[in-house]
Amino acid sequence: MALPLTYHFRNARVRLRATLATILGISLVVAVFVLVQALAAGLVQSARNTGDPRNVMIVRKGSTAESSSQVALEQFQIIRYWEQIARDDTGTPLVSADVITLISQPRLDGSGEANVSVRGLTPVGKSLRPQVTLVAGRWFTPGQREVAVSRKMAQRFAGFHLGDTFRTAGKTLTVVGEFDGRNSAFDSEVWLDADEARAIFDRQNYSSLLVRAATPQAGRELMARVEADKRLPLLAEPEVKYYADQTATALPIKVLGNFLAIVMSIGAVFAAMNTMYASVGSRTREIGTLRVLGFRRRTILAGFVLEGALLAAVGGGLGCLLALPLHGVSTGTMSFNSFSETVFEFRITPWLVAKGMIFAVVVGVVGSLLPALRAARLPVITALKSL
Amino acid sequence: MTLPTFILKNALRNKRRAFLSVSSVAVSLFLLVTLQVALRELTLPAASPGAELRLCARNKVSLTNPLPARQRAVIEKIPGVEGVSPFTWFGGEYQNDGAMTFAQFAIDPKETRRVFTDLNLTDTELAGFESEKTAAIIGKISADKHHFHVGDHLTLNSTVYPGALEFKIAGIFSGTADDRMMFFRQDYLDDSIGTPGLVGMWWLKVKSAGNMAPVIQAINAAFQNTSAEVRAESERNFQLDFISMLGNVKTLIASISTVVVFTLVLVTASTMSMAVRERFRELAILKALGFRRRELFAFILAESFGLAAAGAVLGIGGAYALYTFGDVGKMTSGIFVSFQVTPRIMGWAALVAALLGIASAVAPALSVARMSVVNGLKTLD
Repeated sequence: MALPLTYHFRNARVRLRATLATILGISLVVAVFVLVQALAAGLVQSARNTGDPRNVMIVRKGSTAESSSQVALEQFQIIRYWEQIARDDTGTPLVSADVITLISQPRLDGSGEANVSVRGLTPVGKSLRPQVTLVAGRWFTPGQREVAVSRKMAQRFAGFHLGDTFRTAGKTLTVVGEFDGRNSAFDSEVWLDADEARAIFDRQNYSSLLVRAATPQAGRELMARVEADKRLPLLAEPEVKYYADQTATALPIKVLGNFLAIVMSIGAVFAAMNTMYASVGSRTREIGTLRVLGFRRRTILAGFVLEGALLAAVGGGLGCLLALPLHGVSTGTMSFNSFSETVFEFRITPWLVAKGMIFAVVVGVVGSLLPALRAARLPVITALKSL
Repeated sequence: MTLPTFILKNALRNKRRAFLSVSSVAVSLFLLVTLQVALRELTLPAASPGAELRLCARNKVSLTNPLPARQRAVIEKIPGVEGVSPFTWFGGEYQNDGAMTFAQFAIDPKETRRVFTDLNLTDTELAGFESEKTAAIIGKISADKHHFHVGDHLTLNSTVYPGALEFKIAGIFSGTADDRMMFFRQDYLDDSIGTPGLVGMWWLKVKSAGNMAPVIQAINAAFQNTSAEVRAESERNFQLDFISMLGNVKTLIASISTVVVFTLVLVTASTMSMAVRERFRELAILKALGFRRRELFAFILAESFGLAAAGAVLGIGGAYALYTFGDVGKMTSGIFVSFQVTPRIMGWAALVAALLGIASAVAPALSVARMSVVNGLKTLD
């Protein structure tokens, strides 16, 4: 027969202070574990929110990021009127020839400068990226030195708020609109007209083409056609895939997360063991009594392991609760792919919470195993005699 | 029995608990030192020898915008300039190594001796670099990692320029702040796949420290209101600017460190209270025998301090040993080249340990001070 659960709960209450310290300790470890993973999850999600399954991205073969890619004007002209490309109501092909430039801008908090991605896009380019919506002001007018800035970037960099101006490449640009990219990679960008961007930054070529395929079948044909055309040293791939590959920045964060998880879990196991040993030690007589009452060794063992696991699970739950307020908080770092500031949010997914809980329970079980073994092995008579 | 032996015996009466407490303190301090070193490496990278006389000039728009090669003639004429070399990012990938490939830059081989004085190359190696167009020199860390030797050939696919280049290794350098990089010849890049007339940035050396500020000013002024405005700064400032791009990483690591310290205090304090509670009766007897509160407090303090100190020696010492004698490049898969545990960081960690020892003695000492002898004697726990 198993020990009733209430027995364990009462025990936890008797040694409240030590129990609370252990629970809190484990909860902090779990909170750190969950938060670091949440950063990596946020980066991955941002990439996932970006691509549209109907779009095809065309960059120069061999370049790993749009910012280092080049597409010549002639190449754009060759592709532009292909029949695989969807057209809007007026018959204009849905192709956006984009120019990506990085500009160095001072941060709002005064902690130095960072590279910001500036995307020059063809007017039709906005409709190819439906996740981006204007939240303040208006879109830029080509030729007027106007830009629209992502709201998240406006909160991080100087001179990016609606109505502000900033200087780059010897020109003064005015922010006439703020947009929201719904947690996509576009949240890290400044937008203006493509040809104006080419003029301002003295660029002959475009960086990339974004194309809306007429049908999924046409999309596949288009990619094959780019590959087959000897005049085009370009690579066409689904936009979704392109952005899915842009998550190298998540790697060091994952490495940090795993390192922290390992080291902190070792510390937490030691701490849990200490508490459980003390708990077993002070309950020696009680355990003797239980044995006399007929509870078996393995019941006692299972009981103590369960107690440790419960304690840790409470800690784990608390840890997840502690981490939760940071869900959705945006943060930023330099992307190793685009070499520019990338903003993303902490994302605490249900799977991450589950991972945190599993992590906590493992710590609890490992930490209580040896103390539980000791409890189970206590010789009955000596245990009863002890004070 | 003397007092020190009494304290020692008390600390070790439950060897398992002493071991577990010391270990958890050690693990936490190890983590604390690791995070602090990582933070320092990220925010304050090692400077190369000779950096105090070197400066970098990049396009004012950003690091990734190129500069016209014709600027060189103007820079060379500025008084105080000893040598100028282009410094052009090639973005080559070695055998689909991905993001972890060593960085490669195109420079002017004739300026190597003047500008990049910290390479520690032999004259033969330098001569080889100067005489052969496809020659490249590479840092020891990368050479060791990929088993390159002088005379070997390697091909890199550029992610910036269309195509690939084949290089012949003319020398292996060491002793710079980052012995992972590779340098090759700008003229080779221009002749094959590059964009002639454009370079990545300028890297130059001035004659003396006094020339630094005037040269920076002169360069910035020389290209003002041209199509390619320039931002010149010392190599050190350039390095720090580069690092400030990492953004919120600093806050992240600092917050984790704080949580680690807090957890540490919590757990150790709880262990100490456990240890004291276990011998409440004993302490009551000592009290009855006439020991003062002050003396009892000293016993507890000495014990908790001792535990914390032992943990500090293990944790901080362990981190020092691991990062000083271990291969950090391999451990962090190339993210960190150097991982220097400085005396300052060790000092801070030791201070945390000392405060921990004191803080965790306070609560148990208070309850001992408050206990009445009679109640203490009655305690069974």
